[in-house]
Amino acid sequence: MLVLLVIHAAVALIAPALVRAIGGRGLYLVALAPAGAAVWAAAHIGRTATETVEWIPQLGLSLAFRLDTLSWLLVLLVGGVGALVLAYCAHYVGDRGEQARHAGLLVAFAGTMLGLVLADDLLLLYVFWELTSVLSYLLIASDPGRRVARRAAMQALLVTTLGGLAMLVGIVMLGAGTGTHRWSELAQSPPAGTWGTVAVVLILAGALAKSAILPFGAWLPAAMAAPTPVSAYLHAAAMVKAGVFLVALLAPAFAGVLAWQLLTVGAGLATLIFAGLAALRQHDLKLLLAYGTVSQLGLLVAVLGAGTRAAALAGLTLVLAHALFKSALFLTVGAVDHATGTRDLRKLSGLGRRLPMLAVAATLAAASMAGAPPLLGFLGKEALFAAFATGEPADTAALIAMVLGATLTVGYSLRFLWGAFGTKPGVVPVEHPHAPGPGLLAAPVLLSAAGLAGGLAARPIESALEPYPLMLDGVGVHLALWHGLSLPLGLTVLALAGGYGVFRLTRDRVKSEKISAGAWVYEQALRGVDRLAVELTGATQRGSLPGYLGVILIVLVVIAGTVLAVGAPWPTEFRVWDTPLQAVAGVAIIAAAIGAVRAQRRLAAFVLAGAAGYAVSMLFILHGAPDLALTQALVETAGIVMAVLVLRRLPAKFSERPLRASRRWRIVLGVSVGLAAAGMAFVTSGGRTATPVSERFADLSVSYGGGSNIVNVILVDIRAWDTMGEISVLVVAATGVASLIFQRTSALRRRAETPAPKRALAAWTGKEDSVIMQVVTRLIFHTIVLFSIYLLLSGHNAPGGGFAGGLVAALALTVRYLAGGRRELNRAAPVDAGVVLGTGLLIAVGTGVGAMLLGGQVLQTAIVDIHVPLLGDLHVATSTIFDVGVYLIVVGLILDILRSLGAEPQPSVTEETSETQEQDREKVTA
Amino acid sequence: MTFLVPLPVVIPLLGAAITLLLTRRPRAQRTVSLTALSATLLVSLALLMLSTQDGALAVAVGGWGPLGIVLVADQLAALMLVVSSAVTLCVLVYSIGQGLVDGAEDTPLSVYHPTYLILTAGVTNAFLSGDLFNLYVGFEILLVASYVLLTLGSTENRIRAGTTYVVVSLLSSLIFLTALGLVYAATGTLNMAQLVDRLDALPDNLRLVLQGMLLLAFGIKAAVFPLSSWLPDSYPTAPAPVTAVFAGLLTKVGVYAIIRTETLLFPGGRVADLLLVVALLTMVVGILGAVAQSDIKRLLSFTLISHIGYLLLGIGLSTTAGLSASIFYTAHHIVVQTTLFLVAGLIELRGGATALDRLGGLARLSPLLGVLFLVPALNLAGIPPFSGFLGKVGLFQAAAGVGGWLAWALVAGGAVTSLLTLYAIARVWNLAFWRTPNPAMPGVPPAEGSALECVPAVSVSVQGAMVPVSAGDERVFESSAPSSDSDSDSDSEDGPTLLPAMMVAPTIALVALGVALTVLAGPLFGIAESSAKDLIGRDAYVQTVADLPEVGQ
Repeated sequence: MLVLLVIHAAVALIAPALVRAIGGRGLYLVALAPAGAAVWAAAHIGRTATETVEWIPQLGLSLAFRLDTLSWLLVLLVGGVGALVLAYCAHYVGDRGEQARHAGLLVAFAGTMLGLVLADDLLLLYVFWELTSVLSYLLIASDPGRRVARRAAMQALLVTTLGGLAMLVGIVMLGAGTGTHRWSELAQSPPAGTWGTVAVVLILAGALAKSAILPFGAWLPAAMAAPTPVSAYLHAAAMVKAGVFLVALLAPAFAGVLAWQLLTVGAGLATLIFAGLAALRQHDLKLLLAYGTVSQLGLLVAVLGAGTRAAALAGLTLVLAHALFKSALFLTVGAVDHATGTRDLRKLSGLGRRLPMLAVAATLAAASMAGAPPLLGFLGKEALFAAFATGEPADTAALIAMVLGATLTVGYSLRFLWGAFGTKPGVVPVEHPHAPGPGLLAAPVLLSAAGLAGGLAARPIESALEPYPLMLDGVGVHLALWHGLSLPLGLTVLALAGGYGVFRLTRDRVKSEKISAGAWVYEQALRGVDRLAVELTGATQRGSLPGYLGVILIVLVVIAGTVLAVGAPWPTEFRVWDTPLQAVAGVAIIAAAIGAVRAQRRLAAFVLAGAAGYAVSMLFILHGAPDLALTQALVETAGIVMAVLVLRRLPAKFSERPLRASRRWRIVLGVSVGLAAAGMAFVTSGGRTATPVSERFADLSVSYGGGSNIVNVILVDIRAWDTMGEISVLVVAATGVASLIFQRTSALRRRAETPAPKRALAAWTGKEDSVIMQVVTRLIFHTIVLFSIYLLLSGHNAPGGGFAGGLVAALALTVRYLAGGRRELNRAAPVDAGVVLGTGLLIAVGTGVGAMLLGGQVLQTAIVDIHVPLLGDLHVATSTIFDVGVYLIVVGLILDILRSLGAEPQPSVTEETSETQEQDREKVTA
Repeated sequence: MTFLVPLPVVIPLLGAAITLLLTRRPRAQRTVSLTALSATLLVSLALLMLSTQDGALAVAVGGWGPLGIVLVADQLAALMLVVSSAVTLCVLVYSIGQGLVDGAEDTPLSVYHPTYLILTAGVTNAFLSGDLFNLYVGFEILLVASYVLLTLGSTENRIRAGTTYVVVSLLSSLIFLTALGLVYAATGTLNMAQLVDRLDALPDNLRLVLQGMLLLAFGIKAAVFPLSSWLPDSYPTAPAPVTAVFAGLLTKVGVYAIIRTETLLFPGGRVADLLLVVALLTMVVGILGAVAQSDIKRLLSFTLISHIGYLLLGIGLSTTAGLSASIFYTAHHIVVQTTLFLVAGLIELRGGATALDRLGGLARLSPLLGVLFLVPALNLAGIPPFSGFLGKVGLFQAAAGVGGWLAWALVAGGAVTSLLTLYAIARVWNLAFWRTPNPAMPGVPPAEGSALECVPAVSVSVQGAMVPVSAGDERVFESSAPSSDSDSDSDSEDGPTLLPAMMVAPTIALVALGVALTVLAGPLFGIAESSAKDLIGRDAYVQTVADLPEVGQ
């Protein structure tokens, strides 16, 4: 069975190319795939088969297939009708591109339907189930330029998927309740109780949506936007049968559940009546058939859902009959449309005489639909009436509804024949129809003939279908053309006579253009979702950065506050400080921070933030970490210098401050966050019981790390991996500066052709460059650089290290730049920043790789003792090499920043800058 | 074979160093980048194989044992490495094809290659790290790199979007760092394996403080409602491949961190119900956001948020089934979301926009583009048999296994989200691919455009006002991009020729990878399940680290 699916998939993939290459004839080749499936089914009559391939055992999802009577019947229909429809398509659609598309999609659809009816694993069934929805979506809008077609496709997709998802949940529930998704196992012991009922109701929602039963019925008439052969196949013979199939599949296990009976029989019969009435008001022949289909599907669901042995046989017979006559009728409409260019029964007249062959075929099919002897539809309907003529009140009620439905069916069958082929007074007869060729006639004729042949072959059909009804309880019935003068025969006569009456009464009525209730609900629901979406998104997605930050901070305060309030273990001991100097530093930090927030001038804000940083470095000193303090102080210094370079481009003061109210609320939030953070810090540091890992760092730094500066050993050895990461962050910061400042400004400059920048300091101060300053900086430059190298090399044992050293060197470069601009900078460092950065990163990462190559762990340090003449014995840890990398990266970053900032077009007065920028932008946009 | 463990970080960093040295030699840079990322992919595959066969691999950097930083490649980490390096490699090829990688001639250093490679190193480092502080470093690397990539070209929109992104990310980093300080204060270590015992010894509510802070930090990165608003305001403005890799990977690193810390450090599911509620809100609010969008990139940003909810669902259930479904879904979502953003880039190139009111008829203009969009889009919407469906079923089954009204509410929410995702992408298909082409689109024959249904007046006037500004801004940056070529070809009706092969090929590769996730779902779920078991068991991870040699041995 898997082979059948694979063949279909392969054919679907090559079909478009094939049809494009050799044209419509290619469709005949393509049709061989579903035809093969039908032949395979015919060869397997009366046999069962199983086939299983594991797929995802964790989900209990396997490619499990099983052939039994029910699936056999549907394979036959799907394959047979599919082949005929494909052959019909070869003559129906003119455009080769469209034919190619249809060929691929229709074969894919046939394969999917086969998978659906053959699947034993319910999850697998769902896989195919949803695929049919998607394929139907793609097929309905074959003319996607039309809004109606697109909307109809979407409606079909959403409604069937809505049901489908409910069904998926139902299947998951069944699986969770029983541990298997295999229907062959589930059917043995279906889950009972509420769990089982809810599951089966959810699954039924999927089935009803697929088969367009109330309240889901509206999508099917809308789907008639599809080309007629597509409708004949998907929306009459195959896809909409999926729901009916599922009902029939589940009925043996669930027919006893009350909810099941209400949903299948109740909703099915209601659909039968309402859709039947609607069909009588249509003037578009295709829509007439569509409503007829909905009505018939209602009947099928009701009959098969009833779950008695007699009803089951009647139901299957009707499924077969319906597929034959309904696809024949759809294809007839296609031929009529093809011949006359219209499907409107108000415009068609006298076609019966012009196209007698088609008329005969259609009459046979319509007669089968109406349940007239000796056609297959008659067999089914007789058996149906017999099955429900038990005399029980519920059955009798159903029987009455069915007879009523049958009456309506006769009515719209006549309306169809009259509408398509009848001669109407007052309507100009169609004189010269574009007569359909044999290619278009073959399929409807064959399908109608099959309906006739079926009617004459009651016995073989019954024996082929028999195994399914035998799974159910109750008294059986037999298919026969003549049961004697029984109640069913009487009811058939009643329906036929009543139907004629209905037809006469309603012949001239035409549906008003009012939108149907189902379509209205769909529209409203969709509009409601859209409105909800817009409003909710408008409320949550305000586009305000302070708002987003506020939300995050509120969450922080809520989390921390709740836990702290509900009972965090507060320490009993409270020590205010180790030394009062800490308090001084603390007050300084707080004061500087408040000042920074309140500052009106940008420069002041930066300087105050820097001051807070210096105060932090004071805390470090008090904790006995001079190295950290040194680094922090250098970072703050470099930070302020860089900020100054940036700030000269910006207005001196901040823009408008927020309103007083929002400021107050921000203060509250800020204070709350601070309190929360402090509270958490207090609680957590009081809760420690274990010894921190750093206890052992002091010894190990010397013995294993080979250095007595513990901070440096941590940075370049114990946590060198972190440092490697952080220096790559510095590299990226450099690329960011290049990208944000250099590339933008140079692009602007190229376009604006502004003159080269003035020297930096001169531009900044507005004065000419100072020779004295240049001389002084040149004099001290080398000393500072030498000092930085000293810091780098001695850092492993004394305060310093690559980071601090790099910063010092970078400050030296900065001074040169400030004094003499780019020229001085280039003279001091005649290299590309990229090369410096790249070399640094290469050295740092290379140290790690080198250690690996020498057989150690990544970034492992080796301690080497070298004897150097004059200097004596040197005790060197290889981690110093890593530190060289760090040093270079810091220098490279600053170099990059200076170069990029130096590339500005007019780094001087603010107004001027923004003006030129404006002009630049105008030129760019022009 | 433990020498392989640091390589996924080391190789991209070496690559970055070399590309910096090769500034202004674009061809050599490309070779280096492609080689580095291919090698990373191969190493990751090897790690996945090894960890599946013999259990997790660990390395103590510098030989410091658990005192220093340990890197752990267990199955979860290795799986994430494989998926992420495959994705980054494809995106790199795409960005080369788009001409994004070549900077201006006189830049002091080249931007794209080193930054992109360092971003990759940050991601891989986050996956491999066995140390909370090092995880933070991993986040820093990828975040700072992402700041640069997000603002590439420095157009006004990107700077504005970048501001939101950078500030929110800095705040999340600050919260993360605070949390680290708190964790160290309470336990005296940041080594995750060591933390297991030490955290267990803490009072419950103290542990809850730490858990809450870490979740908050990761929740912002993972874009969990209500911490997600920054994402749609920042991602969509970046160049397509950048958005693609952000959308695919960065949020998932946050999710990975949540999975890792929730299972290893904070087991027992004390906040499970909270996570489930958040998951539900993220799903539903996110997808409604997508429904409200009229721009493909923005729409995709919202589906991204929404489906993070699915991932949280599995985590919140804290069962093996739930976690393994989440892990599978994470792999799926990385691939599919990246693919869709790349396709959005192709749409922008072919149709001249990603706004739905300016697009139309793409299915006919470029059938290939249609297939490339439809397959991952259906996959995203959870249409079977694709991996999105499989992950969804896994999650539903896991929820059914747990039971209770909250779990069922999530199943219902998940189903609704799935339907609305389908609605959102079907609308994109209806409008951008099916509707009559907009005559203003490049490559639309004039006769066709004029003869067909009229474009709403609003969009015409919007075009008139907007085009010069935005196009001009783009040109500053993308002047070398092939998008400008499309103008010269605009008379030809032959769609595919307009799309550069270097952009289409990696997109096809990613679509194929998505399909491969479906075909190989069995073994993948196997890996996900055994990872989930290891995660819940905790011992395997702790033991692997404990087995590392002590300092100096």
